[in-house]
Amino acid sequence: MNRSTTALLPGIVLLAAIGYLGKLTEQTIAAYGRTHHQALPNIEYVLWAILFGLVVSNTVGVPRVCRAGVATYEFWLKAGIVFLGSRFLLGDVLKLGGLSLILVLIELAVSIAFMTALGRWLGLTPKLTSLLAIGSSICGVSAIIAAKGAIDADDEEASYAIGAILLLGAFSLFAFPAIGHALGMSDHLFGLWAGLAVDNTAEATAAGALYSDTAAKFAVIAKTTRNAMIGFVVLGYAIYWARKAKQREIGNKAAFLWQKFPKFVLGFLLISILSTVGAFSKPQLTDLANLSRWAFLLTFAGVGLQTNFAQLRKQGWRPLAAGAIGEFAIAGLTLVMLLAVNRTFGL
Amino acid sequence: MPQKVVLSLDWWSVIAALGAAAIVKLGFLPHVPW
Repeated sequence: MNRSTTALLPGIVLLAAIGYLGKLTEQTIAAYGRTHHQALPNIEYVLWAILFGLVVSNTVGVPRVCRAGVATYEFWLKAGIVFLGSRFLLGDVLKLGGLSLILVLIELAVSIAFMTALGRWLGLTPKLTSLLAIGSSICGVSAIIAAKGAIDADDEEASYAIGAILLLGAFSLFAFPAIGHALGMSDHLFGLWAGLAVDNTAEATAAGALYSDTAAKFAVIAKTTRNAMIGFVVLGYAIYWARKAKQREIGNKAAFLWQKFPKFVLGFLLISILSTVGAFSKPQLTDLANLSRWAFLLTFAGVGLQTNFAQLRKQGWRPLAAGAIGEFAIAGLTLVMLLAVNRTFGL
Repeated sequence: MPQKVVLSLDWWSVIAALGAAAIVKLGFLPHVPW
């Protein structure tokens, strides 16, 4: 094992410990309810893992030695999504993906237009406005990082936008399931809503998982479709900013799109194809679904551990206000759109 | 000198997941509990 892999180990162990503690807490509460014949609310391990992570990150802080390993949570998220492909038949992926694509295109247009107008109104720098628009329309942090280089924004602008997206992501984890339950939304409808409106992939998956296992599946499909659009939106912005600065435009647009395309989507599709053609037996499919759960367990612990409220507060209120108003509006508009589609076509 | 190929996190997650799926398929892994 080389030195860089060894450096990741302490953080990965911390992710596993916090995630597993979350799972144990869920099981312990359920067992207590059973033995004492009490109907206790079933709080999923997802929420416990995030909460324990938040407590560590905002009290003692993540030890320096663990930071590199904790940052691997995105790796576990993507691996978990690839495994999740085993739970979808290819036909379902295409059907759901097609429906999600139409909804995503509407959501993209609405949120980019809204965030741009809002950024101008709040007097944010044009590049920060672009980053927030990209972050809230597609997929939060990775979209902002992809766009940062492409439109030549500075580090501070990127960290403002990332801070706003992360803080709102943490909020939506708690708000979305509560709203979903209050409106009596079906798993399918709620999953699509979480996937379309929650910005960061980890938070969108977690919000879905907090509602139900089925909702998590739909959230991942909608979110993955949204992620697949990242290249097109970033390319559009890159061309816009290059023209504005009279710089040389991007030469090979196909190469640019491929470079920005989230490759884990291909892994997800491949596993889904293999499952559809019967490459895996039933017990093997269960094993893959369980591997996906373990990978998400590490991811959710990482979501909590990566969120530090004191650091986010330092970012100033304007980007946060723009992000918050934008997110609420986008969440509301997406919800109305989904309810209308549900009523007309029956999801 | 040949150029060093650096794979992105995305590719690593795909490789790791497909590798694990292959191990499950070949039956090298006992049942994965949850």
